[in-house]
Amino acid sequence: MSTLFEIVSPSYLLFPALVGTLMMGLVCPLIGSYLVLRRTVFLGLTLPEIAAAGVAFTFWLQQLGWLPQIGEGERGIAMIGSLTFTFIGMGLLGYLEQRSKGLAEGRLAAAYAFAGAVTILFMVFNPAGQIEVLNLLKGEVIALSKGELRLLTGVLGLVFVAMLIFRREFLLTSFDRDLAFLLKGRQVIWDVSLYLLAGLVIAFGVIMAGPLLIFGFLVLPALAAKPLVQRMISYLMLSSMLGLVMAFFGFYSSVRLDLPLGPTDVTLGCMLIFLAYGFRRVSPKTFVALTCVCVAIMVSACGTQAPGPSVPDAKTIHADQIWLAKVKNSTALPLLLPSNNPLRSLAEMAGKISPEDYRQSVMDLLRQNLQSELGKKGFQTSLTEEKDARFPPLPSDSTGAARIARDGKLSGIVFVSEIFRWEGETQKYVRALIDFKLIRIDDGAVIWQRRVQGAIPTPSATNLGQASTDAAGKIVRDLFAG
Amino acid sequence: MRIERDVDEISSAREKDLSEKSFSLVRLQDVTLGYGSTRVVGNVNLAIYSGSLIGLAGPNGSGKTTLFRTILGLLPPLSGTLSRGCPLSRFGYVPQSAALDPQFPLSAAEVVEMGAYGRVRPYQLFSAAERERVKEVLQQIGLPQLGARPFFSLSGGQKQRMLIARALMVNPKIMILDEPLSGVDEESRRSIAELLTKLTRENDLAVFFSSHDLEMVQRVADSIVRIDKGQIWLDERKARLRP
Repeated sequence: MSTLFEIVSPSYLLFPALVGTLMMGLVCPLIGSYLVLRRTVFLGLTLPEIAAAGVAFTFWLQQLGWLPQIGEGERGIAMIGSLTFTFIGMGLLGYLEQRSKGLAEGRLAAAYAFAGAVTILFMVFNPAGQIEVLNLLKGEVIALSKGELRLLTGVLGLVFVAMLIFRREFLLTSFDRDLAFLLKGRQVIWDVSLYLLAGLVIAFGVIMAGPLLIFGFLVLPALAAKPLVQRMISYLMLSSMLGLVMAFFGFYSSVRLDLPLGPTDVTLGCMLIFLAYGFRRVSPKTFVALTCVCVAIMVSACGTQAPGPSVPDAKTIHADQIWLAKVKNSTALPLLLPSNNPLRSLAEMAGKISPEDYRQSVMDLLRQNLQSELGKKGFQTSLTEEKDARFPPLPSDSTGAARIARDGKLSGIVFVSEIFRWEGETQKYVRALIDFKLIRIDDGAVIWQRRVQGAIPTPSATNLGQASTDAAGKIVRDLFAG
Repeated sequence: MRIERDVDEISSAREKDLSEKSFSLVRLQDVTLGYGSTRVVGNVNLAIYSGSLIGLAGPNGSGKTTLFRTILGLLPPLSGTLSRGCPLSRFGYVPQSAALDPQFPLSAAEVVEMGAYGRVRPYQLFSAAERERVKEVLQQIGLPQLGARPFFSLSGGQKQRMLIARALMVNPKIMILDEPLSGVDEESRRSIAELLTKLTRENDLAVFFSSHDLEMVQRVADSIVRIDKGQIWLDERKARLRP
């Protein structure tokens, strides 16, 4: 379990993801403030959806063989699609704004619905790439690599500096277009600049963080800051600060509670809005006091939490020999690793052999690692099937596991593991929830236990199988560390 | 009586020496005003000189704002000639305060500062001299204590005076005010009217303001231009009242 101090350490594996999230939290609200003030919030919802359609479209083209692989992994091609569609969408919306007599909200709503629909259709056309597209659109910023972080820093840095330099022009054009025309000439250049910056943030943000999180960062801090300030400069600063708060505590909660980042951050952002409107009704003194209380609660909630105890030594529990049960898979998925033998794969496709017969599973990987590490701790491990080949995997429920073990004529101590979740949809990390227990067979007492829950980063993996292998190794090493 | 007289007549009403006034700040010759292909007012001949306080009176929808927007370059004239004697950045424009979006969290001082944005380059900080100028114009409109207040929490009259202060920040040669006296109480009307007169007399500014209230315009302006039913003319009665 990660602690507050762990995640802010540069050596932390998810540190690039944290930095990326914080940067988005800092910069997006600056753009979002203008969307809120110009009453074009819907644009912040529609453009990410259009960007998502671009991602799905380019993947489809690639599947058809019309586009080559570009850049690092699947994000290179996704970025091209996202940028192209965002700018085309903005151009079209701008053109219709100038020409059409219809409702602006109506145009945005229609564009949103259309973009959502074609995203799904493009994914249907491209069933082979569905998972990759879905992963990208879920926007797991947690998988941000250092190279992508550098790119994001460049883009967001540019947007931040531009927002700072042209703040007066953007304010004037947004607040009083007539005066802007008199003082600065044609105001359309400032409109275009503002929307170009918004497009850049959205196009890159959708790839790095997903449409939901980008919309949340754009709009929610700006809405939360609005009732609390009476000056424009304070509004922009507070929006950015609340964006940072939302990004940091959202990231921490996501890592610590093993929740998806987008929904966690957005929920936190909505809570900030409720708090802001609540605080607005109280006196300044009460406001300061309540803010202090909230900060104290948040900081205490983020207090250091030590990881669970490591597996005890053989001497500590006075047992040299233990049984190592098969790892129970409670995920409803087979958790088989991809095959690396093309001939066997062909045989499997032809129905000549069953995949379980030759493909290794995550359960096998965990058990091999456990056996090796238990040996290092001084245990002599025996596999349960050595006693009886029919021995099933044991559940992590201590009473049930002990009863099955006794029925199988085992005695002493048994090490049980049960996987509740194992999601390795990308090579960057694996989401896992696994219970490990040492159980005394005679009375079902739990001697030691540990739950592993969260995203296990696998930065050096080059494919999904490698990611599962790396994650299994890391999980088991952590159990025995210290 | 319909006239197509220009500033020579307006300034003659003010009994000023025409030779001093030979340089018009704005001149419209046979101008037709409108939006797209819709004609709103036709055959407009008008010139405005420094030191003139001109009222534009007409009912709602008669084309007062269209005339102002055309003078300010926000709308192109449908036909005719429009010439300006100073750059657009020296036009102080005071819109109706109701036209501004109360969604913006702006202090009164921030609104006034906007008048100086034309002089400050994007990368420059707002200089101490400009801040001093903000204080000066707030003093000039008689509301130095309200700079820190949220703009949209001010009363109608106070908002109007803040917008006049913003227009003064431009260092204008001519001020154009769209319905500055509507939606404000009697006390505020009087103070705004006094302020406009003072600006005209002391700063030698040309002030051109509109109102749908003819009586109010007669009380404030030196010259009155009437606009109604697609036509524009000089009100002779006011000219005759001049000393």
